[in-house]
Amino acid sequence: MKKRLTEKQDLSEITESQNSISDNTVSEEKSKLIELRGVSKSFDGETVLDSIDLYITGKEFITLLGPSGCGKTTTLRIIGGFEFPDVGDVFFDGVRINDIPPHKRQVNTVFQKYALFPHLNVYDNIAFGLRIAKISENEIKERVSEMLALVNLRGFEKRNVNLLSGGQQQRVAIARALINKPKVLLLDEPLGALDLKLRKDMQVELKNIQTKTGITFIYVTHDQEEALSMSDTVVVMANGKIQQIGSPTDIYNEPVNAFVADFIGESNIIDGVMLADYKVKFAGHVFECLDKGFEKNEQIDVVVRPEDVDVVAVDKGMLTGTVSSVTFKGVHYEIIVDINGFKWMIQTTDYVAPEAKIGLFIEPDAIHIMKKSEYSDMFGDYSSFSEELEHLSDITEDVEE
Amino acid sequence: MKRFSKIYTALILVFLFAPIAVLIFFSFNSGSSTSSFSGFSVRWYVELFRNAEILNALKNSLILAVTSSLIATVIGTAAAFGIHHMRNKHLRRSIMSVTNVPMMNPEIITGISLMFLFVFVGSFLGLSTKLNFWTMLIAHITFNLPYVILNVLPKFKQMDKSLPEAALDLGCTPIQSFFKVQLPAILPGVLTGMIMAFTMSLDDFVISYFTSGVDFQTLPVLIYSMTKKSVKPTIYALSSIIFVLIFLLLLLSNREKSTYERLEVKRLKAEKRRKEAILRAQKAGKTIKPQKEHIPTDTPRAPKKNSSFLTKIIAVTCAIAVIISLCVMIGVYSKNTITLNVYNWGEYISDGSEGSLNVNRAFEKYCRSEFGMNVKVNYVTYTSNEDLYAKLSTDAVSYDIIIPSDYMIARLASEGLLAELNFDNIPNYESCISENFRGLYYDPENKYSVPYTYGMIGVIYNANVVSEEDTGSWDLMWNSKYSGDIVQFNNARDAFGTAFYKLGLDVNTSDVSEWRAGLEELKKQKPLLDKYVMDEIYNMMESGEAAIGAYYAGDYLTMLDNQADNVDLQFYYPENTNLFIDAMCIPASAQNKDLAEKYINFMLSEEVAIANAEYICYASPHSVVYNSEVYREDMGEDVIEILYPKDFDFHAAYDANCYKDLDAQTKKLLNSLWEELKIS
Repeated sequence: MKKRLTEKQDLSEITESQNSISDNTVSEEKSKLIELRGVSKSFDGETVLDSIDLYITGKEFITLLGPSGCGKTTTLRIIGGFEFPDVGDVFFDGVRINDIPPHKRQVNTVFQKYALFPHLNVYDNIAFGLRIAKISENEIKERVSEMLALVNLRGFEKRNVNLLSGGQQQRVAIARALINKPKVLLLDEPLGALDLKLRKDMQVELKNIQTKTGITFIYVTHDQEEALSMSDTVVVMANGKIQQIGSPTDIYNEPVNAFVADFIGESNIIDGVMLADYKVKFAGHVFECLDKGFEKNEQIDVVVRPEDVDVVAVDKGMLTGTVSSVTFKGVHYEIIVDINGFKWMIQTTDYVAPEAKIGLFIEPDAIHIMKKSEYSDMFGDYSSFSEELEHLSDITEDVEE
Repeated sequence: MKRFSKIYTALILVFLFAPIAVLIFFSFNSGSSTSSFSGFSVRWYVELFRNAEILNALKNSLILAVTSSLIATVIGTAAAFGIHHMRNKHLRRSIMSVTNVPMMNPEIITGISLMFLFVFVGSFLGLSTKLNFWTMLIAHITFNLPYVILNVLPKFKQMDKSLPEAALDLGCTPIQSFFKVQLPAILPGVLTGMIMAFTMSLDDFVISYFTSGVDFQTLPVLIYSMTKKSVKPTIYALSSIIFVLIFLLLLLSNREKSTYERLEVKRLKAEKRRKEAILRAQKAGKTIKPQKEHIPTDTPRAPKKNSSFLTKIIAVTCAIAVIISLCVMIGVYSKNTITLNVYNWGEYISDGSEGSLNVNRAFEKYCRSEFGMNVKVNYVTYTSNEDLYAKLSTDAVSYDIIIPSDYMIARLASEGLLAELNFDNIPNYESCISENFRGLYYDPENKYSVPYTYGMIGVIYNANVVSEEDTGSWDLMWNSKYSGDIVQFNNARDAFGTAFYKLGLDVNTSDVSEWRAGLEELKKQKPLLDKYVMDEIYNMMESGEAAIGAYYAGDYLTMLDNQADNVDLQFYYPENTNLFIDAMCIPASAQNKDLAEKYINFMLSEEVAIANAEYICYASPHSVVYNSEVYREDMGEDVIEILYPKDFDFHAAYDANCYKDLDAQTKKLLNSLWEELKIS
C-alpha cells in the first residue's frame, strides 16, 4: 500500500495528530522553514529515499526516527547540502536550494562522531566558523565565551580536543555549530557514541539548549525513547519512506501502521475484522472500540499496548490464556501470555505464576485500529521474543550507511 | 626466551649499524688507510670542505633533492587526494598499481627508459643538450611520487570522513576546507612522504646516472666515478655528516609522533578508570551523582607548540633551499657565461685539495684576464671508457673536452665522434709533447689527441715476505713459494695480459691457440692465488694480507703512503708490460671547440701540467713536467725513478705492448676463456 503524507492528511483521525505541522493551515505557508517536495535519492541503483514530502516550521525540535537504512541520515544530508536529490526539490525559506553547496547554506551540523578538528584546541574549534566569516577577533572572543557558557565548558578554551571525553567533545561540536547562529541545526545521532547515563543527561541538556536558543533542531536517531522524550515532532521513517509524522503522544497512541506501532514502544498487533463502527472482532472475541469510518468487515490490524491490558480472574476475562513466562521489571512484571497460540506481552503490577491460567480485560480506549499495510503480520507477536536479542539489535543499529 | 629476544635484537642492531660505525670511525683517521687507524684527526673533514668538486656535487644533490621532493610532495598529495575520492574501486586499484610502477620497476630500467625518452623528445624539439638539470628533476620527481602517495593515502583513510564536511558546513569553500582542515590532518603523512622522497632523491645513483647531463652532477654519481682510484677518506667524512643529519631528522619526526601517542594512551587510560569507578559504584549499589565530567588538571597538553615549531623549521628550510636553488639555476643559466663541459675520470685533475692548484678555477680566471671572457668550467666525471662511449654515442649530451684512454680514442676516431684539433690554438703542443708521444697507433697522424698521462703496470711485492732473488720478472706471480700470498687482476684483459707478457706473446693477437696458451698459464697460477681483485688490492697490499700483485706504478705510490708498519712494499717493471695513455680530445659534437682548445693549451702550460702530474701521481708525457727541477724535487728521485724508468724507449715499448681494441670475435673468445678460468 503506497501511502503518502498528503493522502494521510485526508484521513481525519490522522490529520488531528498532525498538530505541530498542519494545525495552522492558514499561516503555514509562511512558517515553512524547510520543505522537501517529492525528494528521491538512490545510491548505486539502490533506492534510499522514495519520494519524500516533508516540511519543517521554525523553532521546533523535530526528530527523524527509524531503523538503520531507513533514509533518515540521507534526508539530513540533503538538507545539509552534502547530498543532492536525484528527483524533487528542497526549499529553504521558500527558495529552492537544490544546487546550493553546504558552505552557502544557513544550516549547521553536529556530526555523528563530532568531527572536531584535531589540530585545533577547544577555542579555535568553536571560533572556526566565525574566522572563516572574517568576524573580528574581539567579537569572536565574546561569542565563544557565550557558547562555552551555554554548553557548560567554561575554562576549557585551551584544552586539546583529542583529550576531551566523549560528552565534552559533543558539547564542543554543538558550540561550534551554534556559534554561527544557524536557522537550523542538524544533529546526526549525536549521542550515539555516549554511554547510557551520559546520554540521558545530554538529552536534557540538548532540549534546554534548543529552548534557550529557539533554533530549529533536526535530530536523527534510531532510539525511539530519545525521540519521544526530546521532540516536538517525530517523523517515523522506514524503507526510504515517511511512515508517520506527529507529536510523540500521537505517534505512540495512534500509530498508523504495524511498523510504527512496533517500532515505538511495545505492542501486541493482532489481525482483526471491523464488524461495524465502534465494534471490532479479534482473538475470537468482539470488543467495543472508539474507532469508526471503516468499511463493514474490513480486515484491519489491532494494536493493544502491554500496559493497557488488565489481568483478571479467568471467569471475568474477555480473553483467557496461559502464562508462559514472567520477568520482573522493577515497577511491573512483564508476562508473556499464550492466547490461542498468539503470544501477548502484558505488563502488570500483580505477580502471576508461570503456567497459570488468567483472564484478560481490555477497555475500549485501549484498542487502536489500523488499516492493513505492507507491514501487517510482520510484527506484534511475542512468541520468539528475547530481551537479549532486542538489546543486541539496538546496538547493531548504531551506524547507518 | 626474553633474554634470547634481547640478544637477537642486539645482533640485528649491530648488523645494521656496524658498517656505519666503522665508516664514522675511519672518517676520523689521520692516515688515509682503510685498514689501520693511525690516530684521531679531523683532517678529512677539513679536506672535505676544501674540495670544491665534492662540495659542488653536494650542493647539486641537495638542490635536486629539495626541489624534487617538494614538487613530488605537492603532486603526490594532490594525487592521493584524487585517488582517495575515487568512487570506482577497480579504477582506484589500477591507478594505485600504475603509480607504484616507478617504485617496483628495477631502477636501471626506469633510468634507461627515462634517458631514451628525454633524448627522443629532445631531438624531436631540436634541443642541443637533451639531458640537463631539468631532465634529472623530472626523473627524480617520477620516482619520488609513489613514496609520497603511499605515505599520504593512509592518512586520508584514517581521517574522519566528516572532517571536510564539517569544514564545508562551517562555511569553508572546498579549497579552504582542504588547506584549513584536511591538510593539517594529513600533515604527518605529507611530511614523512617528503622526508622519504628527499632521502630517496639524495642517495639515488642509477637513475641520476642515466639522466644527468653535462652541467649537473650529483654526489652519488661523483663518488661512483671516484672509484678509478681508491675512495678517499673525505668521502667517509661526507658520508658520516649525511648519516648524522638524516638520523637527526628521523629522531626529530619520531619524537614528535611518540609524544602524541603517549598523550593519547594516557587519555584512554583515564577514561577507562573513570568508567570502572562508575561500574564499581553501581555494583556496590550506590547511586551516582550525575557526573560532571572532569579531567584531572594535570592533563598534559598536546605538543602544539612543538609541532608548529617543527613545521616552521621545515618551512624555513624549504624556503631557503628553494631560494638557493633558484639563485644557482639563474647563475648556471645566466647568458653572459660560456660553459665549458669537461668530462674526465674521477680524481684526475688537480682540484685544489691539500693546497694544490685548482686547475679549473685557474682556467676561468685565466680566461677572464687574458680574453675578458666569462667562462665556467663544468667538470663531470665518468667511471670507465665504456661509460664515456655510451654517453657520447647516445647523442644525449655534448661535452667540450674528454680524456679517454688510447684504444677508446682509436674507436671514437674511427666512428667519427672526434673533432680534428686546430693546433694553432695549442701552441704549447710543439714544445711540450716530445716525439716519443707522437704518431702512436691510436692517432697515427696526431689529428685528434694530446697526451695527458701515461702509466705502466709493474709488480708490487712486500720485501718482508718475498726474497730479492725471486723478483725481476713475471715469474714471481707464478712462484709456488708464495702460494696464497699472490693476487691477480679480476679483469680478463689485464689477467691474460700478465700471462701473455710472461709467455712473450702479442697481447693483441687474434690467434685462438695463443689465447688458449694464456688460459693454461692462468690455470696453473690459480691454485697459488689468494684471490682475483681490483680496488681491493690497495687494502690487501697495504695491510700485508697479500704479498705479490701487479698494478700501476702511480697506484703503487699511493699504497706506499699507506703501508702498515710491518710491510715494506717494493716495485719493479718486468721484461714486458702494459702501457696506457690517456689523452685529451674534443668530441665532434662539442659546442665550444675554440675554448676547448684553449683549455688543452692551458693544461700544457708548465705550472698547470706540474700541478696535475703531482696530484694524479701518474707519469706525465709533458716535457715541461719531467724536465722540471721543481717537480723532481717535489716528487723525490726514487719516485721519479719508478714513474720514469731510465733508458726506456717509450715509443717502442708502447708499440709492442699496449692494449688495442680487440675484434668482436676475439672479445667473445676472451670472455668465454675468462669464464672457463673462473669455474675451473
